[in-house]
Amino acid sequence: MTGNARRTGPPWSVDLLADLHAGVLDPRTEAELRPLVENDPEAREILAALDATLEDLHNLPPIPMPRHVADRIDAALAEEARPAAPVIDFAQAKARRNKRLGWGAGLLAAAAVAVGVAVVALPQDNTAGDTAAQSDKTTTPVTGSAAPSDGDRMPAVRGENFGPVFGDVLKAQNYGPLENQDKLADCLRGANISAGKPLGVSPITLDDKPAVMAILPAGAPGAYRIVVVDPRTCGPDNPDGVLANSTIEP
Amino acid sequence: MTAAASSDADLIAAHAAGDPHAFSELVRRHRDRMWAVALRTLRDPEEAADALQEAFISAFRAAASFRAESQVTTWLHRIVVNACLDRMRRRQTRPTVPLPEAGPGEPVAPRDAMAERETRLVVQAALNELPEEQRAPIVLVDVEGYSVAETAQLLGIAEGTVKSRCARGRAKLAKVLGHLRNQSADANVPVNDVQVQQGRQLEER
Repeated sequence: MTGNARRTGPPWSVDLLADLHAGVLDPRTEAELRPLVENDPEAREILAALDATLEDLHNLPPIPMPRHVADRIDAALAEEARPAAPVIDFAQAKARRNKRLGWGAGLLAAAAVAVGVAVVALPQDNTAGDTAAQSDKTTTPVTGSAAPSDGDRMPAVRGENFGPVFGDVLKAQNYGPLENQDKLADCLRGANISAGKPLGVSPITLDDKPAVMAILPAGAPGAYRIVVVDPRTCGPDNPDGVLANSTIEP
Repeated sequence: MTAAASSDADLIAAHAAGDPHAFSELVRRHRDRMWAVALRTLRDPEEAADALQEAFISAFRAAASFRAESQVTTWLHRIVVNACLDRMRRRQTRPTVPLPEAGPGEPVAPRDAMAERETRLVVQAALNELPEEQRAPIVLVDVEGYSVAETAQLLGIAEGTVKSRCARGRAKLAKVLGHLRNQSADANVPVNDVQVQQGRQLEER
């Protein structure tokens, strides 16, 4: 007797009949076995038991993913998508830069820099000040809640040239003097801007004055709204507390 | 781009092209089935959630370079199954956690409903007792309805091995579930001289 030799008669090897049932056996063995099985009540009973087992398994109910698990995975994927989204618009950003259509292209380019793509492919043609700001950005990224204090180097913006700081702000969740999302929302409400959780938020300096910049989704893939508020004066009743409000689109 | 009518291949292409919603839509389409697979193979809701999140993030990152568009679903399912198998291997000994009853509408008759619920629990408990190498193919083929070929792809094993492991698992389940009386799945001792040399295509026992 060898290790793989098994019974083909009463009492039958259940493993052998399970193999027959599952189509494991080679055609010749199966052809030899079939007539023996069909003429033996015990073998037929075992095959019926295997059929019943399959039916039990088939009848197990579907198990829908619980809401909280689905939400958790959606949030993880959204987080994963967040820094990568601007890369999508690389081609358009490059085209815009070539057409010199203003700061919007710089924003997209900077966002791409933030994920390490456009460093080589999309060289900046900014002013010396902008280059310095970008240098700051690449060496002192504003990430997570690691808030730079007032004395630290905050991302610096001149005028509406948000491009060099866009990537850093996009990666940050630092409300600075506003402290939390609710206070930011109050400030934005002053300019009739309704906002949920920003994609990114960080203290910056705007023309050397402390401010808070937030990047909000703008309702379309690859589109963003950039808002800058004055944390000292902004509020639901002060439209002048919103210092900048611009939308960029792919 | 993320219209409901888009195919899986369309969605993966849209994701690669930068649509931030395409991958989430792809996940939404398949998550219930993948959840069932993860939960039934890992037997622990927390572990299943972790495995799925890990798998979906991994797929998200790899999807932009995915090219074989006709196999998006298999590709995604394989990542999930592999994540589950990795966790199963990392945690060889673990307590069995009862799975929630979450089937569609229960039968009208209360007695039938109770009996059906009891049967499901018994079947699931029996499934949980199988060795992992048998449970995974049984879950995929016999519970979730994947073909043997699909399951072989998902598990990265030969089709013959899938069949063989299913056969072993079904034999054990038949006994545990009481369908086999006075039989032992291990009763292979010959009592007469009629024997068959098993032409097993593949067996990893």
